[in-house]
Amino acid sequence: MLKYNTFILMGLMLLNDACVEPIEPETVTFESAIVIDATITNELIQQQLFLSRTFTFEEDGPLAESNAVVKVASDQTEYLFEETTPGTYRSTVAFAAQPNISYQLLVTTSDGLSYISETEQLTNTTTIDELYVERVTNNNGVDGMAIFVDSFDPTGTSKHYRYEYEETYKIIAPKWKPLDLIPDPDPLNGCNVLVVRREREDRVCYTTDDSNSIILTNTNEFTEDRVSRFLVRFINRDNYILSHRYSILVKQYVQSSKAYTFFETLRDFSGSESLFSETQPGFLEGNISSTENPTEKVLGYFDVSSVSEKRVYFDYDVFYPGEPLPPYIVPCLESKPPLISQAGICILRPLVAGNLVRYFNTNDEPQPGEGPYVTVRRVCGDCTEIGSIVIPEFWEE
Amino acid sequence: MKRIYTIILFFCFYFSVGQNKDEGISLSYENATIKEVLNTIEETTGYHFFYVDAWLGSELVSGNYDNAPINDILESVLKKTIVNFYIMDDDKIVLTRNTIIYDSLPKNYFGSPEDELAIDGGLQEAAPLFYEEESSSAQQNINTVRIGRENRNSNRQKFTISGQAINAKTGEAIQDLAIIVKETNFGTTTDTNGYYEMELSIGRNTIVTKALGFQDTELRAIVFNDGQLNFNLEESFEQLDEVILEGNRDRNIEEAITGVTLIDVEKIKSIPLVLGERDILKAAVTLPGISTAGEGSSGFNVRGGRTDQNLILLDNAVIYNPSHFFGIFSALNPFTSGTVNIYKGSIPSEYGGRLSSVFDISTKDGNSEKFSGEASLGPVTSNLMLEIPVVKGKSALIVGGRATYSDWILKSLDDESLNNSQASFYDFVAKYNHSINENNELKATGYFSKDAFSITSDSLYSYSNQLVSLKWDHKINEKNTASVILSNSEYKFNIEFDGDSDNDFDVGYKINETEFKLKLRNIGSGAHKFDYGVSTKLYVVDPGNIDPGSSESIITPLSIPREKGLESALFISDSYTVNDKLLIDAGLRYSFYAALGASTQRIYEENGPINSGTRTGTQDFDKNEFIKTYGGPEVRVSARYFLASDLSVKASYNNTFQYIHTLSNNTTVSPTDTWKLTDLNIKPQEANQISLGLYKNFEGNMYELSLEGYYKKSKNILDYKVGAQLLLNEAIETEVLQGEGKAYGVEFLIKKNEGRLNGWLGYTYSRTYIKLDSEFNEERVNNGDFFPSNYDKPHDLSIVANYKFTRRFSASANFVYQTGRPVTYPIGSYIFNNAEYVFYSDRNQFRIPDYYRLDLSFNMEGNHKIKKFAHSFWSFSVYNVLGRNNPYSVFFVTEDGELNAYQSSIFSIPIPTLTYNFKF
Repeated sequence: MLKYNTFILMGLMLLNDACVEPIEPETVTFESAIVIDATITNELIQQQLFLSRTFTFEEDGPLAESNAVVKVASDQTEYLFEETTPGTYRSTVAFAAQPNISYQLLVTTSDGLSYISETEQLTNTTTIDELYVERVTNNNGVDGMAIFVDSFDPTGTSKHYRYEYEETYKIIAPKWKPLDLIPDPDPLNGCNVLVVRREREDRVCYTTDDSNSIILTNTNEFTEDRVSRFLVRFINRDNYILSHRYSILVKQYVQSSKAYTFFETLRDFSGSESLFSETQPGFLEGNISSTENPTEKVLGYFDVSSVSEKRVYFDYDVFYPGEPLPPYIVPCLESKPPLISQAGICILRPLVAGNLVRYFNTNDEPQPGEGPYVTVRRVCGDCTEIGSIVIPEFWEE
Repeated sequence: MKRIYTIILFFCFYFSVGQNKDEGISLSYENATIKEVLNTIEETTGYHFFYVDAWLGSELVSGNYDNAPINDILESVLKKTIVNFYIMDDDKIVLTRNTIIYDSLPKNYFGSPEDELAIDGGLQEAAPLFYEEESSSAQQNINTVRIGRENRNSNRQKFTISGQAINAKTGEAIQDLAIIVKETNFGTTTDTNGYYEMELSIGRNTIVTKALGFQDTELRAIVFNDGQLNFNLEESFEQLDEVILEGNRDRNIEEAITGVTLIDVEKIKSIPLVLGERDILKAAVTLPGISTAGEGSSGFNVRGGRTDQNLILLDNAVIYNPSHFFGIFSALNPFTSGTVNIYKGSIPSEYGGRLSSVFDISTKDGNSEKFSGEASLGPVTSNLMLEIPVVKGKSALIVGGRATYSDWILKSLDDESLNNSQASFYDFVAKYNHSINENNELKATGYFSKDAFSITSDSLYSYSNQLVSLKWDHKINEKNTASVILSNSEYKFNIEFDGDSDNDFDVGYKINETEFKLKLRNIGSGAHKFDYGVSTKLYVVDPGNIDPGSSESIITPLSIPREKGLESALFISDSYTVNDKLLIDAGLRYSFYAALGASTQRIYEENGPINSGTRTGTQDFDKNEFIKTYGGPEVRVSARYFLASDLSVKASYNNTFQYIHTLSNNTTVSPTDTWKLTDLNIKPQEANQISLGLYKNFEGNMYELSLEGYYKKSKNILDYKVGAQLLLNEAIETEVLQGEGKAYGVEFLIKKNEGRLNGWLGYTYSRTYIKLDSEFNEERVNNGDFFPSNYDKPHDLSIVANYKFTRRFSASANFVYQTGRPVTYPIGSYIFNNAEYVFYSDRNQFRIPDYYRLDLSFNMEGNHKIKKFAHSFWSFSVYNVLGRNNPYSVFFVTEDGELNAYQSSIFSIPIPTLTYNFKF
């Protein structure tokens, strides 16, 4: 028996040992390239696209590709785009991509380099039949909310679907009080703070997040062109965004096979992978190239897709009646910082001045080392740290 | 008249040698080759010698004899060689090399450098010319046997005695047993099957037997007539089952072919290995020229070849995936495996179908005398091997089975991600060998291995190998032998997906091949030795099918049509001993491949890239109709030249064709790689290799040194477009690229075969490049220039050392250093679709950090002086003692729109393991 225990121990060591650890990547060599992120849809809006450049691992974000001349040319017309914010270009007029018309993207950057896409046509339009939520336990045994899509194309031609979503949720600061702390304006009271009435509403907020992953499905292997119970989003039951009321707007894009392959390959490259087998990465060529230099690497894709969208709302207590709320974004611990430390340094006042804490209560019987007020982290008493108090226009209670 | 003359001579001889030792030959020579001396003796006396020139080497001898007995002279002349002599029919002297020239490595007799006792002074002992008078301590009581029935009417003085020497414990034949008649000091040795034949004088003879690893015996034989005398010998005490064959010791310098490596299981017994598994294939990668892409990747890269370019044979049948558990274990049972011959330079003409190498693995023959076995308990697997006699002395069965309990360990873990995963494997092998008679032997092997693993709870991957092979060896006559081989191999894998929604599926892949091979050998024509034959192989591939995984699933069943191919070859090779120094091995193979219908092949524009857009149509082929044929001559020539008796130079040229390719979009082999047959759009791979090497043995073969260089060019090597979809894709040709390969390298190996400290050091400098060029952008990688392949690792150093403290305790160490392998590393990142991604440019322009690792093990043999039920062997080893966190890969993942970089490593801390083996 002793022998076996030893074996198990060794087995444990082995399995814990095959490891994947995060590293801070370094830029070995850097090549600046243009990135074109353009999707034109059949929605009648001012179409929008993004131009940026690649950046190094040490930089925080991309450099916008500003002052470029951007247009989408169709068989009949040309739609001009103008830069609204750096790198974001919006068509000067609202237009919707029409079926059986070829569109082509033309970009000329401020340094005179020009890029052209292949011609693309609008894909078949398939609307979302059903967008619905269910409380499920997923394959990993995790309880949570699943958002499913059903869609059906009787013509069987859509086949390739890509999804984006926009989720909006209501946040209620759990330790909100109508009172607030402010630094004592009287400079003579060096470390003192004052309790005042709150001047603004910051208990209930709304936050909207865009999806940031590539969500794809196809019906190639299915007998019919039917998307059924496709899981667009799964939210762990412990995610605070579920706490009160949640809404999701799902957009379904029908893609061409080529565009779908592009997104799929990009997703495969960047998806988590198995430790023992690695996909051969390489330059992923889209449908845009340089007119002057055919070997120049151009990142991104010009996609013309039909889009269909649907929104759904749900409340936490409908699916989790009587159950405790998910934990808040951070643990809301109470603290009683003293006004002044033993060394004579102000403690609470700089926390208040720096907008880091919120009033929660008075500390009626301060112990040694405690101050006169019970405080919580700002986000626990003020939801504007993570949301906006403006109710979104579409919001339904 | 002639007969009388012979008899008279016989008497003369008998007296002159047996009694009048002072009368003999007068001879003087200086700095003469042995051959010259023998020629002189032939000219001046009535003796005739029978021998092969090459045995004698080129060493020069000097001597001066006056009336000396012939055996004195020969003893002196042949002292430094491993040649025995035997005087027959009075005037015929047959020189025998201590070992016969083998077709293959003799089974069951494995040299073991770490067993010093078995080796010491082995050269002299194994070439027993003169038996020393004093009795050995191992000597048993002298028995007396009577041979033959006395025939009063006969006046013959000499009788022919024959028989077989058998290992009393295992029932295996003992070869190279020296059988010596003490009175005359003449003797003979047994052949590969343990048989011998010798002449004895009438009356009393004292017969002594000697062989390494066996107890010396002495018996009195009273000879009355022709008869039989068999020997059943006990292994000597210091002997486990390790015997070094001195005859092979010269193999290094003597064989004509370059780039051949022999590994036997016993030798690697004490190499420290991960998780206590003795593993022949893992030992192979410690030798120059053979490497893996990384720790935990299955498949071997031999001299810059892709992992699909190795023909891995188990008892002549192909194993498609010889690894378990993502390559951490090999799928070969170490207890049943005998030897592996790895041909990485010149491949003998009988083998073909792969570009880079042949791994010829043979299973041991079972013990036909006695039931025995071996078992091991390790932390991850347990293994049991049994040898079962079927017909005593004639046939035996060997079975081995191995299974893991890692699945159970995984399940008992708290870690969520591991809890949901499973990994299990097992393998089973059985071999039956039957010697029908002296001229016919039958061998049959069956093998099955299976792996199942799941990384997420909704999918289950499994793969299996299965093979059967039958071999009939037939001795047509003294000079001709034939082997008929029939084999069938199957490899398949399966992915089952059982998720939440209605898209459950079941994907399968299967390849099956059946081969018939007829191999003939003729050793008769003096300096020539011919091997020739014919082989034909039928491939049947079911490249993939997908089925709905459950009744609710809306997956459409899809099946990619079956592919068939026929690969045939004619081969001949001649091992021609031109003179003492020069040996040429010239082989030619003509291979022919036909892609067979029924099939629908896609036709593409002649001057365009191959993609769905350039497809112009399809062409249908009927069942078994030739879709397209390929073929060509494959030259396999190598030569050896002795610069000195212990120094040789070898050169070889060889070209190969390969008609079957793996499809893998991974940088390392994964078990879901599929094999694709050459067809209308995918051409066979081809390679040409030249190599040149120098080989030297020092100090009586104690040290072996070799230096080999090679240059290899290949074409139509498969690679893939970025993000290729390979599974369930009918039009594979639109996803693959065929390019040129270029590899060169120098391999250095020094081995110390004996002594307390033994082991080897191998160093390889090699480069491997691939070029994927085309006039079309989409078919060009890295601007169409040569770039390093995924497994290009210029520096590769391996040191394996064993140190024997005492008979029972030994320690070994294994050190590996390799240049980090090339990776495709991003040259920036970018934002697209609200998430950050990395920007990859040219392939393989960067390298992961260098790899190094030290493993140590300490071994203890059970006390084998006391008669026990089982002989035990404990091994405690620590893998990666230095705890080096060798990066295996660096990869980038976009999670929640953010980019994260990860480095993976397989074994980043020291892994201790304790394994217990026992034999019974």
